[in-house]
Amino acid sequence: MNLMDWHRRIERHTGLLVFGIIAVTSVGGLVQIVPSLFQTSLSTPVAGLEPYPPLALEGRDIYIRESCSVCHSQQVRPLLAEVMRYGATSKAGEFVYDRPFLWGSKRTGPDLHRIGGKYSDAWHRLHFMDPRAVVPSSIMPAYRWLAERDADTGGSIQNRMRALQLLGHPYTDRDIYFAPQRLAGKSELDALIAYLQMLGVSRPEGG
Amino acid sequence: MPELPSSFWGGWIIVLTVGSLLVLVGLVLSVYFFDRQPDDHAEVVWDETLREGNHPAPLWWFWLIVVLLVISVVYLLLYPGLGRYRGTLGWSQGHQLAHSEQRYADEFAAPHATLLGQSLSELAQNHLAMDAALSLFRVHCGTCHGEDAGGVAGYAPNLTDAAWQWGQRDEEILASITAGRQAAMPPWRMALGDDSVTVLADYLKVIGTQAADGPQYEQAAATFAGSCSVCHGASGEGKPALGAPDLTDGYWLYGSSVDDIAHSIARGRQGRMPAHADRLSEVQIRLLAAWLVSRSGSTLPESPIQSVRDK
Ligand code: HEC
Ligand code: HEC
Ligand code: HEC
Repeated sequence: MNLMDWHRRIERHTGLLVFGIIAVTSVGGLVQIVPSLFQTSLSTPVAGLEPYPPLALEGRDIYIRESCSVCHSQQVRPLLAEVMRYGATSKAGEFVYDRPFLWGSKRTGPDLHRIGGKYSDAWHRLHFMDPRAVVPSSIMPAYRWLAERDADTGGSIQNRMRALQLLGHPYTDRDIYFAPQRLAGKSELDALIAYLQMLGVSRPEGG
Repeated sequence: MPELPSSFWGGWIIVLTVGSLLVLVGLVLSVYFFDRQPDDHAEVVWDETLREGNHPAPLWWFWLIVVLLVISVVYLLLYPGLGRYRGTLGWSQGHQLAHSEQRYADEFAAPHATLLGQSLSELAQNHLAMDAALSLFRVHCGTCHGEDAGGVAGYAPNLTDAAWQWGQRDEEILASITAGRQAAMPPWRMALGDDSVTVLADYLKVIGTQAADGPQYEQAAATFAGSCSVCHGASGEGKPALGAPDLTDGYWLYGSSVDDIAHSIARGRQGRMPAHADRLSEVQIRLLAAWLVSRSGSTLPESPIQSVRDK
């Protein structure tokens, strides 16, 4: 049977066609994705990287809920201008405890991967309550309600930590047991700031 | 991916990549040159003349595909892509970054050396350098100190007045930027009680502009001497080494109303200037310090009008 006949046959059998499409499109994944599952440099945390403590984890979820990624990326690319402005290039091993990672692709505002320690908590508080109080030309929205909402959402933090523990995040049972206490009396704003202050602070050696 | 876990995965990538390229070449060649069929397959006729056939696309498509294939092969030879093979150019993102950093360092080595050799006051006279400092300030400092360094009410100090909380000598300004500053003004409400705090606040409001010697200030002056002068100085003139501000200059970082002053005393203040040693180079830090020196005293010590708490 020659090629054109094959073509005819595939074209006329939906099942075959679907199978063919899957077979062909999977090649890209087999080349790009499958080997990276075995690439240890992608799954080994850089020295000093800690899983997010409860308050920061809560803050991360608030970051996701408020869609901060719509305006902020979290990846310093290996380009001179970015390194000079934001700091060391982001490394894969820094995102091991980010599920999912929040690299983003849109930069209406600055990159946030090296934001940890750049400002004081007091500055962040001012900035989230009213960005224009500190940066008059800012177009970032204010997030006042975060200050009024409780970070403790009734124990769900423990479920989330347990899920991450299953995926290999080194939380101890003790960490999980005491998690609600770590959130007690904190606002969502405190949680978000705790998260931001952790971002990108454990830089790899020489990076 | 030169750092692949094993040569197995390197081989896997090579086999799949080269294999699919070869399959593609075979497919294209056979469709265009070997498997051509007479057009007798058409079974269905639509609209009188439209026949369903099985033709290869026009020939210029063939050449398009050839060009693309050649480009991919050249790419795979020059750049990393085939398993652990690094490509003849030895290119990597890390190398490229190191290369541009090196180029930057070479290009600016001479001017940077000149700038490093100058004192802050010399730098402050250098207009080009001060232009660079202004843009540095806007990127790295303006978000806290205000775009023109005028300060943010109740938060970060005005850097353009003549008052320096942490000292105005060159090395003090440089240290403020390089290592950061953490102010520690303790809360006094528990120790002194609300009444004393109010009395002190009234007293400070007065000494902010004039001497306060009368008998009505005796109680406050005594408390001040007992509790505050260790840090703020015997007559409230401040101690730059502790970051304790001059309380007699009429400039109030945290607001000038009696309420604001009482709030500072009752609850304490912990202003923090973050360290910039990791974020800026020595040249950049010296440029910024020189720019601050050039702006120092350019505005009157004017308190931010509104305190943040009032907003
Ligand atoms: C509409 C787009 C937009 C959204 C949404 C947004 N931001 Fe921003 N953000 C900006 C812009 C623009 C700036 C720069 C001006 C400024 O500092 O306010 C900025 C600045 C910042 C900064 C200071 C960065 C620096 O290096 O100076 C932080 C931190 C920040 N945003 C956090 C957040 C967080 C957290 C969220 C979600 C709760 C968020 N932003 C949502 C636009 C946005
Ligand atoms: C341990 C040292 C220390 C002691 C003791 C101390 N202060 Fe302070 N004070 C500081 C520092 C440091 C600051 C600057 C805080 C900042 O920048 O955040 C400050 C700030 C202030 C301010 C705010 C100034 C402004 O510009 O807004 C007031 C008011 C003040 N102190 C009053 C007092 C009074 C009254 C007492 C005695 C009851 C006192 N302080 C005792 C260190 C001290
Ligand atoms: C996170 C916000 C923040 C950033 C960013 C920041 N500063 Fe500051 N800076 C402060 C605060 C707050 C103080 C006052 C600390 C205190 O209360 O004692 C301060 C104090 C200072 C002082 C001491 C002032 C004095 O009167 O002695 C200098 C100098 C200074 N900053 C320069 C800079 C420069 C230059 C930059 C940019 C590289 C910068 N700052 C970036 C918040 C910031």
